[in-house]
Amino acid sequence: MSETICVLPCNGLDKCAGDLSRRAALQLTQSEDVELICPVLLNQNKSRYEKALEAGDLTVIDGCNTRCASKLAGDLGLAIKDKVNVSEVAKALDIKLGVEIREDQETQAVVQAVLEKINSSVIDRAESEFVEPESIDYNTFSHGKFIFKVPTANYFFNENDCWVTVSGKLARIGVSDYVQQNLSDILYVDPPEIGDEFEQFDDLGSIESSKAVFEIISPVSGTVVAVNTGLNDAPELVNESPYEKGWLVEVRLSDFEEDQDLLHDCPAYFEFLQRKVAEVDV
Amino acid sequence: MSESTFMGVERDRIDWSPRIDFLKCNDCMDCVEFCPHQVFEVDENAKPKLKVKNPNNCVVFCRACSKTCGPDAITFPDKAETTKMIKAIRKAEKAAEKEVEANE
Repeated sequence: MSETICVLPCNGLDKCAGDLSRRAALQLTQSEDVELICPVLLNQNKSRYEKALEAGDLTVIDGCNTRCASKLAGDLGLAIKDKVNVSEVAKALDIKLGVEIREDQETQAVVQAVLEKINSSVIDRAESEFVEPESIDYNTFSHGKFIFKVPTANYFFNENDCWVTVSGKLARIGVSDYVQQNLSDILYVDPPEIGDEFEQFDDLGSIESSKAVFEIISPVSGTVVAVNTGLNDAPELVNESPYEKGWLVEVRLSDFEEDQDLLHDCPAYFEFLQRKVAEVDV
Repeated sequence: MSESTFMGVERDRIDWSPRIDFLKCNDCMDCVEFCPHQVFEVDENAKPKLKVKNPNNCVVFCRACSKTCGPDAITFPDKAETTKMIKAIRKAEKAAEKEVEANE
C-alpha cells in the first residue's frame, strides 16, 4: 500500500480555474505525504520525479477542460490513479469562475471542495487494500517437543483452527500454527475461486501435506477477493509463517460483527489450544 | 480427539456427523482411511460394513470425508441450521446464567 500521493496540477498561471488547481495543490503539499510535481519540470525532465512516482499514486488536478495536466501525464505514460477537474467541481457548486484570477469566498469554497474530493478518494483507496501490520507479537507454549505460537492480538479463530484478521472491510484468512505443525510439510494449496461468496463455516478450499488433507473452514462470511498466489510456488510458507506470509485467502467481509459471536479472540484461542493439545497426541 | 464442547456448547447437543447413503456406498472405505478422528468403524461381518461409530468425534463443520467419497454417498446436516442452533443454545445459556446471578 502506498501512503504518499504525487500531485500533478495544471500550471495555473493565467486563468482562474488554473490558479485554483495550483492553490489546491499547494495546500495538499502542506502534508508531508504529498509530493508536488511541477508540470513544466516534469515535461522537461521526467527522471527528476521517477522516485516520487514510484513511491506514490498519481493524482492529477486539471483546471479547465483543456486538461493539460492529464494530457501531459498521458503523453509521458504515467498511470493516473485519481483525477479532479476544478471547472467541474465549480460547476457542481454552482459557482462561475470566469477568467480573471481572484481570491474570495467563492474560489476558496472551490479549493476546499477539490481538497475534500482528493482526500476522500485517498481514504477509499486505503479501504480497498488490505494493510499488513508492521509486526506481530506472539504468545507461545510448549507441549512435548512442540512449541505452539498464537498472536497476542488482532486475530480471531474458530474452533476449526482457522484464523481471520481484519483491515477495514477486508480480511485475511489462514490456518493456525497448530494445523501447520499437525500436517507437517505442506505440499499443495487448493484455493477457492475469486468472486466466490461464502457463509461462516463454509469451506474455502484445502491444504494438503503428505500426511493429510485439511479443509479450510471459514471463520467469517464474505466474498473472496484474492488468494495468496505466492503459495503456488512456495506452499511451505504456510509452515514457515502461518499467521503472516502463509495467509490463504483475502475476503470482503459481509457481517463480521455477527460472525464474531462464534469466534475466539487471541487469549481465548490460546487457552482453547492448550486444552486441545493436552487432550490429543500431536 | 475428544473435545466435549464446541464454542462452549456440549458436543452431544450438536447434531453434526456424516450420513451415509448405503444405496450409493460402494464399500471402498476411502472415508475411513481419510478421517483421523475415528468417526467411522468397519465391521467385515456386518451388512453394511461401514458404520458411523463415533458421531461426536466428528469435527463440527468439517465435511472433508464427503469430498473423498467417489460415489457421493456422504452428506451432512444443514450448516446454516446448525450454526443457528449453536447460537440459540449459547444465547439461552447466557440468559440462564444471568438469571442465576440475579437470583443469588
